Amino acid sequence: MKHSVFSLLMLFNCTVLMSQNNAKEVLVTIEPLLNKHILILEKESSDFKTITNLKFYLTNFSFSKNGATIWTEKDSHHLIDASNPSSLTIKLNSDNLDFDEIHFLLGTDSLTNVSGVMGGDLDPTKGMYWAWNSGYINFKLEGKSKGTAFEFHLGGYSPPTVQTINLATNKNNITINIDVADFLNTIDLSKQAKLMSPGKEAQHLSKIASSLFYINE
Amino acid sequence: MSKNSIIAILSLFAFLGLAMFYPSSTTPIKTTYPSYWPKPTYDFSKNPLTQEGIDLGRKLFYDPILSSDSSISCSNCHLSFTAFTHVDHALSHGVNDSIGTRNSPSLMNLAWHTSFMWDGAVNHLDVQGLAPISHPAEMNEDINNVIKKLQRNSYPSLFFKAFGDSNITGEHLLKAISQFELTLISCNSKYDSVMQKQTVFNSQEANGYKLFKQNCASCHTEPFFTNHQFENNGLFIDTLLNDYGRYNITKNPNDSLKFKVPTLRNIEFSFPYMHDGRFKNLSEVLKHYTKNINHSTTLSNHLKNPITLTSNEKVDLTTFLLTLTDKNFLFNKNNSFPNELFHPTEKD
Repeated sequence: MKHSVFSLLMLFNCTVLMSQNNAKEVLVTIEPLLNKHILILEKESSDFKTITNLKFYLTNFSFSKNGATIWTEKDSHHLIDASNPSSLTIKLNSDNLDFDEIHFLLGTDSLTNVSGVMGGDLDPTKGMYWAWNSGYINFKLEGKSKGTAFEFHLGGYSPPTVQTINLATNKNNITINIDVADFLNTIDLSKQAKLMSPGKEAQHLSKIASSLFYINE
Repeated sequence: MSKNSIIAILSLFAFLGLAMFYPSSTTPIKTTYPSYWPKPTYDFSKNPLTQEGIDLGRKLFYDPILSSDSSISCSNCHLSFTAFTHVDHALSHGVNDSIGTRNSPSLMNLAWHTSFMWDGAVNHLDVQGLAPISHPAEMNEDINNVIKKLQRNSYPSLFFKAFGDSNITGEHLLKAISQFELTLISCNSKYDSVMQKQTVFNSQEANGYKLFKQNCASCHTEPFFTNHQFENNGLFIDTLLNDYGRYNITKNPNDSLKFKVPTLRNIEFSFPYMHDGRFKNLSEVLKHYTKNINHSTTLSNHLKNPITLTSNEKVDLTTFLLTLTDKNFLFNKNNSFPNELFHPTEKD
């Protein structure tokens, strides 16, 4: 009797181990930059920019080969937070490593925004949810530039602000850069240094934010 | 052999350890409602009701720990005996005697609602609680701080019972409050008995029902007595509050002065009326609809033709509205302050 229980448990353990061995892994590292240098929060750059907060959602990861999707991550929601180094690495357990493009969304899709409260990275305690106009903040950037304090909370699903990002790569260890200086240099901070509500302006700035992502290979 | 047994025992411990992360036994609760009602819009599969979850949500609903100075609970503005609204208060109150800008709405049959707040700012019941918790003129608190306070209190074991996790999350906190609110179903008024052919209206009520269907039902649609839409019901704007309603959310000029159509169930107890509580009683409300409509560009199509009612008809209509009172709901002990949850050892 003891023997059969033991063998059952061992069989179970072996299955778990084997399935773990079969899983393939792609490592995605997000590298926030400020003027092409690694972003250090609170540290002023040579052109007097200081970033105090950078947080954004990357969701719905998938790989494709010759335009055909070969793998899609399930429940794919990752909160990237420049102040939390472990959030900058995403493990994608793809069963197929033969791809030539990686795809993801900057922000959360509209279904996520109308489906009530969620846990994990989507938990409203993460500071990325608007209480008085339901919906997720997709991209949050706060700091100072030449003495002007700025605060950009881009989000909302109506009109949609979520952006699709497609980057060419076939590596299993991908570093994706995002240079926030490019965002600040595109905007006239003397005219607009604050945005915290959904709408057309949030849509416009979200497009700019999505253009910041690139792979340097 | 002995080595094998040790491994077997260790593996069993590992399994028990895993099992501890899953909910212990919970008691599922089924939502019941009249057969002629449509299916709820709330997706119960994502937050299945359990007695443990409902009890936890009820305790949270009545606990001022949710507010920054522990002075205000949800029930301060949503009293069970008055269909969960703040009776006799035009505008809701918050911490430090602050006063909000809107009349707290009644809470019932929320599983059928498609939006929340007078302007539809909130799109799902689960996330509604975030709004009053964070509003400076309501609870003025941060949800992370609420969780810190709950974690130090008696709550971790209650969250474990309900969700199998003593580590409190925003998700579980809000889902528990939803669970209690989802049990607030009002479906036992005289009107409901008539619909189920258990009784009949008297002649006054019957005439009132006829007048209601002719003049009111296009917005206050049965069986919930709201069409869940946003309408401009012809109120002149309060120049102190300058509240443009739905427009504040959508920024669409067509939504200016539109507010969510409130339910008329239990209207006898949910005074004062309107989004800013400007009318103290039903006769003022009927006077507004028959005499004082402001014909602005976004006025509801249903109010473009004048409503005319004789004084006898007004009495009949009011008599019908009183048949929407559901005493089983208003005085249901399962909805009121849960003394047994706050003081488990004291029996009353």
